[in-house]
Amino acid sequence: MKKKINPYLLAGLIITGFMLLVTIIGVFWTPYVPTAMKYGKFQMPSAAHIFGTDNFGRDIFSRVLKGTATTFSIALLTVSIGAVAGTLIGAVTGYFGGFIDDVLMRLNDALTAFPSFLLALLIVSLVGPGKKYSVVLALGIVFIPSFARVMRTEFASLRGRNFVTQARLMGARNGRILLVHLLPNTIRVLLPALTIGFNNAVLAEASMSFLGIGVTPPDASLGYMLSEAQGMLASGPWYAIFTGLTIVLLVFGVGLIGEGLQAQNRGVD
Amino acid sequence: MKKRILAVSLALVMIVMLFTGCGSNGTQTAAPSPSPEEEAPSAAPEKSERASGNEVSIGIAQDFDSLDPDHMTAAGTKEVLFNVFEGLVKPTAAGDIVPAVASSVEKSEDGLQYTFTLREGVKFHNGETVTADDVVYSIERRWNGEDTAAQLPALGVIESVEAGDNSVTITLTEPSNEFLASIMTAYILPKDYADQETSPCGTGPYKFVSREVQDNLVLERFADYWGEPGHLDKVTFRILENAEGLVLGLQSGALDLVAHMTTDQTMQLDEKEFTIAEGSMNLVQALYLNNAEKPFDDVRVRQALCYAVDKQAVIDLAFDGYGTPLGTSMFPSFSKYYDDSLTDYYQQDLAKAKELLAEAGYPDGFDMTITVPSNYTPHVNTATVLVELLREVGINVTVQPVDWGTWLQDVYTDRKFQSTITGLTSDNMTARKLLDRFASTAHNNFTNYSNEEYDEIFAQAIAATDDAEQVGLYKQLEKNLTENAANVYLQDMADLVAVRNGLQGLTFYPLYVLDVSALSWAA
Amino acid sequence: MKYVLKRLGLLLVTMILVSFLTFLAFQLVSGDPAVTMLGTDATAAQLQTLRHELGLDLPFLTRYFRWLGGFFTGNLGVSYSYRQPVWNLVSSKLTISLCLSLMSFVLIAVISIPAGIFSYSRTGGPLSWLRTVFNQLCMAVPPFFTGILFSWCFGILLKIFTPGDFPGFDSDFAESMRHIFFGAVCLAIPRIAMTIRMLRSTVVSEMNKAYVRTAISRGNDRRSVLMRHVLKNSMLSVVSFLGQTLAELVGAGIVVEQVLGIPGLGRFLVASISHRDYPVVQTIVVILAFWVVLAGTAADLINQAIDPRLRQGSRS
Repeated sequence: MKKKINPYLLAGLIITGFMLLVTIIGVFWTPYVPTAMKYGKFQMPSAAHIFGTDNFGRDIFSRVLKGTATTFSIALLTVSIGAVAGTLIGAVTGYFGGFIDDVLMRLNDALTAFPSFLLALLIVSLVGPGKKYSVVLALGIVFIPSFARVMRTEFASLRGRNFVTQARLMGARNGRILLVHLLPNTIRVLLPALTIGFNNAVLAEASMSFLGIGVTPPDASLGYMLSEAQGMLASGPWYAIFTGLTIVLLVFGVGLIGEGLQAQNRGVD
Repeated sequence: MKKRILAVSLALVMIVMLFTGCGSNGTQTAAPSPSPEEEAPSAAPEKSERASGNEVSIGIAQDFDSLDPDHMTAAGTKEVLFNVFEGLVKPTAAGDIVPAVASSVEKSEDGLQYTFTLREGVKFHNGETVTADDVVYSIERRWNGEDTAAQLPALGVIESVEAGDNSVTITLTEPSNEFLASIMTAYILPKDYADQETSPCGTGPYKFVSREVQDNLVLERFADYWGEPGHLDKVTFRILENAEGLVLGLQSGALDLVAHMTTDQTMQLDEKEFTIAEGSMNLVQALYLNNAEKPFDDVRVRQALCYAVDKQAVIDLAFDGYGTPLGTSMFPSFSKYYDDSLTDYYQQDLAKAKELLAEAGYPDGFDMTITVPSNYTPHVNTATVLVELLREVGINVTVQPVDWGTWLQDVYTDRKFQSTITGLTSDNMTARKLLDRFASTAHNNFTNYSNEEYDEIFAQAIAATDDAEQVGLYKQLEKNLTENAANVYLQDMADLVAVRNGLQGLTFYPLYVLDVSALSWAA
Repeated sequence: MKYVLKRLGLLLVTMILVSFLTFLAFQLVSGDPAVTMLGTDATAAQLQTLRHELGLDLPFLTRYFRWLGGFFTGNLGVSYSYRQPVWNLVSSKLTISLCLSLMSFVLIAVISIPAGIFSYSRTGGPLSWLRTVFNQLCMAVPPFFTGILFSWCFGILLKIFTPGDFPGFDSDFAESMRHIFFGAVCLAIPRIAMTIRMLRSTVVSEMNKAYVRTAISRGNDRRSVLMRHVLKNSMLSVVSFLGQTLAELVGAGIVVEQVLGIPGLGRFLVASISHRDYPVVQTIVVILAFWVVLAGTAADLINQAIDPRLRQGSRS
C-alpha cells in the first residue's frame, strides 16, 4: 500500500537537506576566507557580503557556512554519544532492575548533578588542550543522563507486557528480547528524544560558548557566533539575525523530520 | 508597543560613535567632567528614580575576593577598596605620593631611616583614633605577618619598625628609591581588629557597609574622614559578569558608571544619557613568549614575530582604534621612565620577518599556540587578530582559551606554555614592578627571559641611589627588552568608562584604582 | 517506610559519589587554589606554606575523607577565595536558585501538559502547522538570547523590572520576584516547547495502539479514551522527562542568572570552579545531587502511582 509522504517529513527533509548541503559546501568552499579580517568592520549586508561583516571585518556568510558545519557535527555527535550510551543504560536498568539499576541510576544522578562546566574543564585537561572533540565528549557525557532516564522508564514499562512474557516463555534470551522485541517499541519515545536532544545539543553548545569553553577562536560555531553577536546588537544587528536564523533553521528541519516520522508511523504499529 | 520597540531598535541601529578624535595617549589626564547643563537629557523625567538620594551604583565585571587588605589579590578588589583603606602615604591622580595617615615624612641622610609623623586625629571607621601602635601593627602584619598571603616582596628592605611619640620610624637594610611607593599599599588598620575579612575597617573616605558575595558591595561616606570628605552618601558596586548584563544595567538606570568597557559595549549606549571617558589601563599588553621554549629561544624568531605584527592593526581591529602602541615593558603614565622611541623599533616588515625566520631555520614558518584566559574578552580578541597577522609570514597559530585557574597554574606558575596574551601592571606606582620580572632569577619571570646584560643592568639599577642614574638604567633595561624582542609588545589598553550624564569628577590615576570620593552629581 | 529508608540510602550514596567525583575532577584539572589565592606575586615558598596551611599537600584520599568527615559533622569548610564559612556564602544563593528553578518548573508543567494535550486534540486543524512552527521556534532560542530580549522589552522599554538591579528578598521582595519570574520564563520557554513535543508524540503513538483502536471501534468516545487510558500511559515518559528537567534546572540557570544579574547558585558555581575554590564547589555540587535525587524520586513516585506495574517490577 502506497502512503502519501507526510508534509512535515517532506518539509523537514527539504530543510535538513538544504542545511546538509550548506554544511558540505561550508567544508569545501566559502566565498571568502572565514577568518580573514579585511572587509571592513560592521558592513551592512550587500551584494558582496550578503550577511554583512562582523566586528573584525570578517565575512559573516562565510563564517555561517563554516559555523553550520561545526554546529551540525557537534550536535550530531553529542546526541549520538548521549543516545547510544543512554539507551544502553536505560535498557539494562529498566529491563533488569534490581542492583544494577540502583548502581547505574546512582551514577546517572551523580552525572546530572556534576557541573557540566567542570566536566568540560576536566575533559580538556584529560585529552589535552585545543582538541576539537573535547567539547563533543563533554556535551555527549552531559547528555547521557536524560536519555538514560527516559529510556529506563520506557523499558521498565514494556517489560511487563504480554509479548515480552511470551517471548521469554518461548525461550528467547534477554539480549534478544531487548534488541528484537523491546528496542523497536521504544522508537516512539526515542525518536522525539533524539530530535529534542539534537535541539538541546545546539543550545548547550551555545551556552558553553557563552561561558567561554566551546570552540576555539578564530573557528566558529553558530552558538559561539550568536553569543558573540548578542553583544553587538547595536552596531551590527544582522550578525545576530542571520546567525540566529541559521540556528532556527537547523533545529527546525530536524524537528520537522521527527514530527513527520512520527506521523508516518501512525497506523503502522 | 510594537511601534515603540521598532523605533528604539531603529535608533539603536543608527547610533553614531559617541566620541571622536580622542587619539591622545590619555595619560593621567583627568576626564573632563561632563557638563550636562546645556544638553539636558530628554529622558530625565523617566530617570527620576535615580535622582533620589545622593548615591551611585557602579557595575563591576568580576567579583571581589577577600576584603582583608593583606589577603586580597584580585586587581578588581584593590581597585575598589582603595576607597576604604589608606597607607601612611597615598598616591594622587597626578602620580605623586602625598602624606595620608602620616602628616609628614622625613628621610635620614643615608636614606636608611624614614620617620613618619602621624596626622592628628585620624579616625578608623570603627571610631577609634589611629595610634603609632596601630601603624606598627599594620606594617608588621604586611611585612612580616604570620599569614603568608600578606607579605609584600617590596617591603623586604625593612629592617625594623618602631613606634615613637606619635610617630613611626622605619629602618631599612639598604637605601631604596621605591620604598615610599611600596609602603603606600601597606594599609593602616586598627590593631588586633579581627573582622577585616567580613567587615573591613580602615581610614579611607568611604567605609564598608555590607557585601553579598557574587552580587554587591556597599560603601558609605565616612563622616569623620580627616581629609576632604567624599561627595556621595552611598556607593553600591554591583557584580555582573556578563558584558550585556552591564550594558542593560546602564540602560535600565540600575548602574551609573561602568569602567573597563569595550567599544562593542559603549556603542550601545545613548549619548544623551552617557558620556564615555577614555583613560588608559596602565598595563603592558603583549604576546608574552616563553623564551625557554622552542622556537622562541631563538632571538631571530622573536624578532620575526615583532616584525610580523602591526600593533596598530591589532588596536584597530580588536579595539576600534583605542589604545596606545607600546614597544617595551613600560607605559606612558610613567613618563619619567617611558622611552617612546622604542615603540616603533620594529616597523611591520613581512619580508624581513620571513628572512629572519628562514635564518633561524623556519623558512616555512611553524605552528604555535597562544594560551589566553577565556574570561578576558580583549585578550581573546587580540589573539584572534594575531592569528591572522602571523599567518602572513607562515606561522600557524592555534588559540587556546583556558579558564583563569588553569591559566594561573599552567602559564604563570608552572610556565608550561608557548605564548600567552595578558596585561602586566604595576600596582604600586613603581616602574620597577614592570621590569623586575625579566631578571633571569626573578620568581615571577614567567616568560623565562634570560639575558646576562639585563641581569647586570638590573642589579645596578636597584642598587642606584641617585634618581637620574636609576632612570637611565631603567631605560637601558627597556631597550634591552625591545632589542632582544623578549616579547611582542602590543599596547597600553584604553580604559573606556561609561558615566551617566550629571555624574562628575571621574579621575584617572596612573594606578588601577577607582576613586569614588571625587565623584558627585551635578547640582 | 522501607521505601523511604531505601531512598534515603540512595540519596546518601549519590551525594557521596558526586562529591568524590568532584574531588577527583579537581585533582585532575590543572589549577591550584593556593596560586589563585596568592595571585601573581607569590613566591614558591609562600605557595608552599599556604598549601601546607590548607592541607593541600596531603594525599588525595586523606583530603577527601577529611572533607567528608567535616561534611557529616556539619562543617562545610571555609571558602578559599572569600575566607568565609561556605554555608554563609551559599545559603542565600540557594534560596534564590530554588525560587528560580521551582518557578520555572511550575511554568513548564502548568503550561506544557495542557498545551500538549490540546495540541494533540487539535491536530490537523488549520493552525496546526503554525503551532508546530511556533513550537519549534521556541525550542531553538538559547536562553541567554531570550534573557537579553526580555531585559530589553520588559526592563528597559516597559520598565516592569530593572535589569542589573536585583535587590534581594530582604529589601524588595516584589522586585526580586519579578527578576526571578523573567529568568524563569527564559529558562522555561525552550523546555515548555520540548515537553509539549514530547507529550504530543507519545500521545500520538499511544493513540495508534491496538487497545485504543479497539476501544474506539467498540464505540467509546475518543475523548474519554484519550483522557482515561492514553494520557495515563503517555504520562510515564513525560513524567520522567519532567523529572529530568527539574533536576537539570538548577544547573541550567547559570546563563540566565548571568544575563539578568540574579545572584544564584549557578553563577557562584562557575566562578568558584574558575577560582578552584573547592570547598564552595563541593558544597554546591552536593546540594545539586540532593536536588537531582529528590527530583528523580518524585518522578518515580508519580510514575508508580500512575502505573502500579512499575512498583511490582521494582520489588522483584
